[in-house]
Amino acid sequence: MTPRDEKPVTRRPRQNHLELARRILDLARDRGLEPGAHLPEQLIATQCNVSRTPVRAALKLLADQGLAVHEADAGYRLSRDFVPGASFAEPLPDAEEGALAQRIIRDRAARRLDETITVGEVMRRYGAERRTVLKALGTLAEDGLVTRAPGQSWVFATLPDSPESQADSFEYRLLLEPAALTAPGFRLDEDRAAALRRNMVAFLAEPDDRLDPRAFQRLDSEFHTLIAKGAANRFVAEALIAHHRLRELPGATARGNVVRLRQAMQEHLGILDHLESGQLAVAADLLSVHLRLSRSQRPQAANRGAPPLFGMTGRPGR
Amino acid sequence: MSDTPTIAFFPEASFGAALNCVGIARALKERGARPVFICHAGFTGIFADYGFQEYHLPVSGAAVPEDYWQDFIRRHLPHFDLDPIDQIETYVAPTWEAIVDTAVQAEAPLRALLNRLRPDAVVLDNVVMFPAIARAGCPWIRVISCAETELPDPDLPPYLSGLAAGDVAGRGAFLDRYERAVGPAHARYNAFRAEQGLAPLDEGLFLEPSPYHNLLLAPSILRHDRALPLDPARFTFLEGCVRQEAPYEVPDFPGGGGPLIYVSFGSLGAMDVTLIERMLAVFATFPARFLVNVGGFRDAYRAVPDNVHLDAWFPQPSVVAKADLFVHHGGNNSFCEALFHGVPSLIMPYCWDGHDNARRAGETGTGRFLGRADWTPGSLTATLHGMLDDRAMRDRLAANARRMADASGVDLAATRILDAAGFGGTSRAGEGRQAG
Repeated sequence: MTPRDEKPVTRRPRQNHLELARRILDLARDRGLEPGAHLPEQLIATQCNVSRTPVRAALKLLADQGLAVHEADAGYRLSRDFVPGASFAEPLPDAEEGALAQRIIRDRAARRLDETITVGEVMRRYGAERRTVLKALGTLAEDGLVTRAPGQSWVFATLPDSPESQADSFEYRLLLEPAALTAPGFRLDEDRAAALRRNMVAFLAEPDDRLDPRAFQRLDSEFHTLIAKGAANRFVAEALIAHHRLRELPGATARGNVVRLRQAMQEHLGILDHLESGQLAVAADLLSVHLRLSRSQRPQAANRGAPPLFGMTGRPGR
Repeated sequence: MSDTPTIAFFPEASFGAALNCVGIARALKERGARPVFICHAGFTGIFADYGFQEYHLPVSGAAVPEDYWQDFIRRHLPHFDLDPIDQIETYVAPTWEAIVDTAVQAEAPLRALLNRLRPDAVVLDNVVMFPAIARAGCPWIRVISCAETELPDPDLPPYLSGLAAGDVAGRGAFLDRYERAVGPAHARYNAFRAEQGLAPLDEGLFLEPSPYHNLLLAPSILRHDRALPLDPARFTFLEGCVRQEAPYEVPDFPGGGGPLIYVSFGSLGAMDVTLIERMLAVFATFPARFLVNVGGFRDAYRAVPDNVHLDAWFPQPSVVAKADLFVHHGGNNSFCEALFHGVPSLIMPYCWDGHDNARRAGETGTGRFLGRADWTPGSLTATLHGMLDDRAMRDRLAANARRMADASGVDLAATRILDAAGFGGTSRAGEGRQAG
């Protein structure tokens, strides 16, 4: 590892405050609170089983993001333009350890970090404190991306960024995602579905030269996570949510061209149409078709006079 | 004749030809035509992902062994270090043999497919003629997407030679060896043509110009003076043929800023891990950011420098548009994309027309050549610095890029194809320069 001119990690919100902020927004939505509604600290503390101090920190986070406002005499309120179905994760900043975890995984995906790293190396490279590094590695461990080795070492799992991993991912999703819809008890979060629909329509309205593949990936992840969260079977839901988090890692999904991005988004909307009208079996069928069409089949190599190659099983010439 | 012309594209099984045809097909679709693609089964999904119907030619003969490509690379990597003339026996002749095999195997299924499809025209972007196309009962248009040398002329250097235009001695020596080595494949191909009722081709040729129309990608900045000018009624130069992709967001580099250099040697070159590893060691000390296409071999690399970002695939036209320099293998598609976006090319050719493009880049001041076998860290560093500092080259390329954008190669190609197919009335693109 080569320590470079990495900027030290800047102060970011603590993970528990972030999680609490998300729970407050969920609470507001579940209770049907309107924009401008009061957010009483004590009630939230009781509901979330925490003291008022972290609640205050979480409310301040929401205010920093424009999702809530603070009034000196009345405390916190939801902001006037609060949208109940809005995506909550995106506007909130990542926690310090979350940001470090992302940088670690970015550099591992780019093969800047070796398969095995030590806490000391990570501290030096990113100018981070031991406590932050350990929490970041803990976050990655929760997702199965690293495991602790003897001593101060941690070992990365194989990242899902090879063509073979991408193919396995589609096979896995084909088994589980349609089943999540057709198993009894699926429940669509209609507020989120409506908000997602607005964002997907807005995406499609962009001209080709402004069609942002990263925006597609965010919407794609939100859409498939919406389906996962609606599953009645909690093991199916947890497995799919964890898998979609994995798909957000660098290189885990193949990039599509503008035509395919538009087609895939149209397919999302078609599935959503049937979800919203309660035709779950049709939605499940369309979801299977969507996954099959989205699976990248492009050859890994092609050359005159040689058959195109799919997948690569080993390093050539060695 | 229906109001919606069906145009059947048949590109060879390489990414350059495939994606070049995608650009033209999209322009045809905008004009109401129905472009479809005939392709090798191994190219499944490439064209469908762009919204086009695909028809696959069945794979015939023995199954491809699992280690085919490992074996291909093990055999040929040493040959790519040779001069073009020394690649004739080791790489070029065996490749022509394989291409002839492909043409023979494809003939019956292609004929059956064209009978079913009944296209209004066939667009052939390939290096070999398929008799079924000549006998399909509709016009066929040839796309010459390799270097201009693919269409021979006494004043042009021989195809695949990498020679300078005026090198008479070199020309003779190259052609002697070429015709001797490729002769058996050529004789076999001519016998096959005779069986299928087509006239034989001159020595060294595997594909004739179309009697209907021929589209050459070579932009004017690269064009040679020909002893035998091409008939403008049958030959059109396109000023490139670059497709549009979604915008590319440059990733965050922990190693700081600097000019952006894109490195891609195509899907074949990505297999040369040893070469790319040597280059990464040089990049580590160079004040720039590097995007490097490593295909499916990311796991072969470790301790990648902080100013380097590896990926398995890049949306190339969008990446080139943001790059300050493009290091590539001289594939014609890559070279045209660099020219279209006004980006200098550092060409490190492996084989085929990469040699011709590398030579031409130097001759025309649009890029530079660096031998893949004999570069040193010092020569690579000096070349990169020299090209980034070359203001005159940058200005020349910027002026040329404006010319290429104005010419809109994909639109002009669509016009010519519709004209050849007898649907000229539906053309709406501006007229471009024809050959001559």
